[in-house]
Order: sequence, then structure tokens, then C-alpha cells
Amino acid sequence: MYAPLLANRYLTSRIIPFIAVGAVALCVALVIIVVSVMSGFLEMVRSSGKTLTGDVVVSRPITGIPYYEELLKDIEALPEAAAASPIVETFGLLQMPYGTGDGGKQIEMVEVWGIEPSSLDRVADYASKLYWRKPAGEAGDESAEEAIASLALNNPLRDPMFHRESAGMSMKDDRGEDGLVLGIEISPFNQRSSDGSYRTIDPRTGAQSADYFLPNAGEVTLTLVPVSERGSLGGEKRRKFSVVNEFQSGLYQVDANRVLAPLGAVQAMLRLDSAPIVSTTEFGEDGRPTVIGESPRRATTIVVRAEPGVSALALRDAVKIAYQAFSSRLAKDPTRFTKPPLPDGVNIATWEERLADFIGPVEKERELMRTLFSIVYLVCAGLVLAIFWAIVQEKTRDIGILRAIGASRTGVLWIFLRYGLLIGIAGSLLGVLIAWAVVARINDIHGMLGSPAPLWLKVGSWLAVAGALAMAVRGVRRASALHTVLWSFLSIALSLISVVLLLHHGFLVWDASVYYFSRIPSSLDLFTAATTALGGVIFSVVGASIPAARAADTDPVKSLRYD
Amino acid sequence: MILAAENVKKTYHLGRVRVPVLHDASISVAAGEWVAIVGSSGSGKSTLLHLLGGLDRADADSGPILFGGEDLRRFDAGRENRYRNRDVGFVFQFYHLLPELTVLENAMLPALVGLSRLRWMSERSALRKRTADLLATCGLSHRLGHRPAELSGGERQRVAIARALINEPKIVLADEPTGNLDVRTGNGILDLLSQRHAAGLTVVMVTHDVSIAARAQRQVCIADGRIE
Ligand SMILES: Nc1ncnc2c1ncn2[C@@H]1O[C@H](COP(=O)(O)OP(=O)(O)OP(=O)(O)O)[C@@H](O)[C@H]1O
Ligand SMILES: [Mg+2]
Repeated sequence: MYAPLLANRYLTSRIIPFIAVGAVALCVALVIIVVSVMSGFLEMVRSSGKTLTGDVVVSRPITGIPYYEELLKDIEALPEAAAASPIVETFGLLQMPYGTGDGGKQIEMVEVWGIEPSSLDRVADYASKLYWRKPAGEAGDESAEEAIASLALNNPLRDPMFHRESAGMSMKDDRGEDGLVLGIEISPFNQRSSDGSYRTIDPRTGAQSADYFLPNAGEVTLTLVPVSERGSLGGEKRRKFSVVNEFQSGLYQVDANRVLAPLGAVQAMLRLDSAPIVSTTEFGEDGRPTVIGESPRRATTIVVRAEPGVSALALRDAVKIAYQAFSSRLAKDPTRFTKPPLPDGVNIATWEERLADFIGPVEKERELMRTLFSIVYLVCAGLVLAIFWAIVQEKTRDIGILRAIGASRTGVLWIFLRYGLLIGIAGSLLGVLIAWAVVARINDIHGMLGSPAPLWLKVGSWLAVAGALAMAVRGVRRASALHTVLWSFLSIALSLISVVLLLHHGFLVWDASVYYFSRIPSSLDLFTAATTALGGVIFSVVGASIPAARAADTDPVKSLRYD
Repeated sequence: MILAAENVKKTYHLGRVRVPVLHDASISVAAGEWVAIVGSSGSGKSTLLHLLGGLDRADADSGPILFGGEDLRRFDAGRENRYRNRDVGFVFQFYHLLPELTVLENAMLPALVGLSRLRWMSERSALRKRTADLLATCGLSHRLGHRPAELSGGERQRVAIARALINEPKIVLADEPTGNLDVRTGNGILDLLSQRHAAGLTVVMVTHDVSIAARAQRQVCIADGRIE
């Protein structure tokens, strides 16, 4: 019955247990914060590569897949697939509405995607990628107002902003003509600010200007070159479009190079739309060749989204089988003049396989991170072990006394197991709380670091310095070494902080204009939190019980000689 | 004979150097006797008392230490704990109280060691009362809630004696119980022991002071690792 009594006394009648709780808490918090933020960041980098492609991609470049609508239906009927969307991928030239300064107009080389917005939205959340959007929240809602302000344009553009979202979805301009959606980085007037939002600026004044907002600035001309099945180039096709919106995928390469256009428009320009097939031997009354059928529309790419819980690999295998069935069914159908490519002729891959070059280094980095985390973890574990070791070592004499009056080894061990367990649990819980508070507010904390300190804080810190100095002087006059030392150190520390606050003009560690992600990942990694907290408890218990067990094993007389 | 040591050997090892302290020391104590062990400083008095109390191990080639005929060296862990807890009470030269516990809790500790949680619940108040009464006979009734650091040397030694007596052992082994105390306080402590002795307690006391040894019924002298 002495174990609980002693464990409680050891916990409550000294300051060391509180220091130990604090140390365990800080170690646990440190590990959780580092792991959460870094793995959040890696996950962001990794998944940013998935932009607009869904989980599985079926592709047959240039000539495309005929009868793709049927294939879409087949795929969407799969239990593994949630949605599928057709795309035509090609390259083209984009003539911008602004000049190069020498009379000509700027021309950009771009990657062109003909898309079907509604189905692409189901596959890859297309709507959420549109940059100029009606902000979330009710009208009149303050956060909505703020979000409008963050769209970086002044009031005149507010209303257009609301209908721009629907224009982005329909890809039609005000006149009902086809419109383009450009990557947000294509326009040189879109400038990324340090909070990650874009503002459209007048390049001459540097001020915000609605005139340079690309959807307002006039028409662009898209030039595409159709390629025949034999690989020869056809005559180039040029067409004017207005810009209806811009999109941000989260990946710079995509945002700086890609142009989205309506699927039908791109098919027509590339001659991948449906056309009559005429006979080379039979002619009609009017001397024209007779129409013997219709060549089907084609799409070069089909993107597929997996049902929740289905892995990309499982979906890929299902899609492969579906494609085989589709291609052999059509091969046997005598009414089709055009046959889809054989299964070997199409590439069916998960988004990760398609982006292997991009993801490989990220995965390597993740391994590196894991190694670094384990080092941090081990250092923290060692620290916790050392703290308990020192605490229990100091109790060797007590253990000798207890053994001398007949306490058993297990009884003595139990005191310190309890001790380590309670401190470990309290410290770990506190650590998880600290980590959670820091991770959840990490963007606010970062924002605070990023802006100069407010005046009251500057003045207050100097007042605190003065107060601490006064206390130090009092310590000297009262001949108290402890007071003098404590207050002197405190005033030195405070004055350093005050100087930093005075000189600090805001400093962003995470510059969104450089890192491209607008926010620091701020979700607590629950698995890490749980394992780290558990580790905190285990290392506390182990650290407390090893020296306790050693002391319990030695003859009491030896422990009593410990001084 | 309640306690006997026959040809006990004890050698300390300081690295490679062997420091023989006891060689062939023999002593026997009858039940109800009060024996004083005297000897100069460093002669091995404490060492012998620790061996008798089961707090240290004799050399492998040592003779036996017998408690009521049982050989201490044959004790298993449980019996050894019981021996230290109930059969003997040990009073250390340097008190050795637990600094975080109060006077009452320190004195009660050996009784707590043998108590399950269940029995603690039912016997708690009786035990507290018994300990408080014992401390009162040691003249400490006004100090029950104090910490050892708040006590004088004599008061601490009396708490240590109360702790040695709480489980009503047959023998008390006291190592210089008055060593750090002035003559008057020392006499108070000795009075306490002699009261208990009168009530049937066997006392083995170590001292280097001949006048204190005179309070015992019998004196044995230790020199050169032997009892003379
Ligand atoms: N752990 C040890 N390691 C080495 N030598 C020891 C150890 N303990 C005791 N000794 C030595 O054994 C001898 C006897 O010590 P012991 O404490 O028994 O003497 P003592 O008779 O009680 O002396 P005192 O009257 O000063 O208390 C001393 O010379 C001491 O240096
Ligand atoms: Mg001694």
C-alpha cells in the first residue's frame, strides 16, 4: 500500500515532476508538429501532381480513341469507377491580346486540353480549380466579403466574378460563343502575392487594374495543327476565343502552360470530330461519292475517378479489362468501319504511374524525412530517458531504505512505474494538446511572424525589461544571489526579445509566391500523434523503471551508501 | 539463541583490492538480551550489524547467520523481505528517513509494506492510531505532520526507532543510535530502548562509546575483524 502513497508524494512534493511533464510534453509536441507539417507538405506536393487527371488515365495520343462515348459508358458501369471524362490533348500556339512592344502580339506555346466541364468536374473537381469564383459562404457574410477582396480586384469586377464561375463551367462567353480557361500563370499580369492569392496589376504602374484582367482584355487566338492517322500534318486551324476564366491547378508547370477549351471546339480544329465516310468506288446521281457511313468522334484521353475506397491500381486493372472487352466487341461489329485501337495501342495507367518522374523524387524525399523524423524521435526518447534516469537515480537512497524495511523488488518497481506512467501520460496529453494548438494555428502564427509587431507589444516589452531590471537591482540590495541571477537573466532575455521586436518588420518563412502552396499544411497527423504520445508514455516508463529496477536489485546497504 | 553468527567473513572489493573487514567473527544473542557491540571506528561494527539485519551478504565461504535456527543465506526473496520487515527492526546510524513523507508516514511505512490495499482500507485508522501512540511514547506527538527536514537530530532518531518498532519485531538492531546526539538526548533514546527491553525486546546495539555500552547487559568487543 506504500506504492501509491510514495508515487503521489514524489509527484506532488517536488518541482522535478513538473519539469519532467514539461519536457515530455515538449518532446512529444516537437515530434508531432514536425511530422505533421512535413508530411502534410509532402502529401501536398505529391497530390498536386494529380491535378485534373483523376485516378486512372486511358490515353491514345494524336489519333485518339473512336467511339469513346461507348467506352465511357462501359467504364462508368464498372463498380470501381465513380466517373469518367473525355479529353483531347494537343499542343498549340496562343496569341495573346497584348503586344510584344515591337508591333506584334505576344504568342505563347501552350498545351491545349479540350474538356467537357461537367464530367471533368465529377472526375477531377474542375469547378474548384477555377480561380475567379463566387466565394464560398452567403452573400453579406463577412468571410465571403473578405474572400471577394482576396480575389484581388476592385469592386467593378465583383459582379462579373459571380457569373464568371458559371462561364467557366459552361465555357461560353457572354455572346454564347466558345470560351477558353487559361492557366492562372499564363497571363503576365496575374501577380502572386505573399499570401498566395493573385492580383491583376497594371505593369506600368504596378497598381491593381481591372483592365489587365485577361477575361476583360479581349480575344486570344488559338492555333492548332491536325495530324492525320499517317502522321502527316494538316493545314493549321486558327480560331478566336474570348477568355472566360482562369484556373489554378496547384502545380506551376500546369498553370503556366495549359489552356482549357471546349471539347467540341478542339475536336473540330483537330479533325477528330465526326465526319461522313464516302465510298471510293460508288457515286451518286449528282456525281458525288456516296456516303456509306460516319467516322466517329475521337478523344485522346479518358480520365477516370475511383469510387471511394477503391485503389487506383484496382481501378486501373478493371479499366484494362473493360477496354479489352470494348475493343474486341467493336472489332467483331461489321457495322463499324472504324475500329478502336487494340489494347496494346492504348496506355492505361494510374496517375502515379503517369507521373512517375515527378513522384519518384517526392517519395525519396519522404524516405529522407522519415529518417530525419526517426532521429528527432530518438533524440527526444533519449532526452526523456535521461530525465527519468536522473530523477530515479537521485532516489536510490530511498529505494535502499524501502528495501531495508522489507519492501519487495516489485513493490519498489511499481512506485516508479506508476511515477513514469503518470508523468508520461500527463506529458504526452499536454504535448498532443500543444501540438494540436500549434498545428491548427500554424498559419496564424506564421502570419504573426510575417507582420511587424504592434506598438503595444513593443512598448510592453521594454516596460517588462525595466521591471525585470528593477527586480534585479532589488536582488542585489537584498543580497539575494538567486533573485539577482534570475532577474538579470530574465531582463537580458527580455531585452533581446524587445530588440528583435523593434527591428522586426515581418519575415515570412513560407513565402507562398515561392513555394506555390498558399498555406502551410495544418492538419494534425492523427497516427503520428497517437504513436508519439504512446512512445512518450513508454519511454517515460522505461526511463523510470530501468534505474529503479537496478536500485531495487542492489543490496540495501549499497544503495544507502549512495550519497 | 535468537540470533547467532558463526565465523562470519566479509570482504569488500575496491576494484582489484580486497578489503577484508570481518574474518571469522562470531556472536550469539539470547532472546530478551541487550548486547552492545563496541569497537573503534572502522573496525566493522556497522558491517556486522548489516549482515545480522539481512541488509548485506557475507562472503561465499562465510559461516552461517542464524535467526531462530534458520540460516539467513537460505532465505528466498519473500522470506528475506519478511525478515527485514517483521523479524528485525533496524535503526541506522544516519536515521535514513524518507524526506517526502511525514513523521507519521515514515513511522508507519513498515506496516504499510505488508498491507494489501483492501486491508489498508479497513485498518487505516487503527494503524494511524497505533503509530501515533507509538510516536507519543517516543515524545513526538506534536510532530506527526512534520517532514524529517524540520526535525532535530534526536527527533529524527526517535522517528527511526518508532519505525523499527512499528511491526513489533523480536529484535532491534541499532547502529550508534546516539552517535550524533548530545548526552542528554542520547540518554532519552537509550531510556526508550530500555523500556522496550524491559517489555521483552531483544536489542543489539553498536557503539564506540564505553559509557553507552554500559547500559547494555553484555558488551562484546570487535577488533581486527573478530569478536573478542
Ligand atoms: N562498501 C564498502 N566498500 C569498501 N570498504 C568498505 C565499505 N563499507 C565499509 N568499508 C570499510 O570497512 C571497514 C568497516 O566499516 P564499518 O562501517 O563497518 O565500520 P564501523 O566499525 O561501523 O565504523 P564507525 O564506528 O566509524 O561507524 C571500514 O574500514 C570501511 O572503510
Ligand atoms: Mg558504523
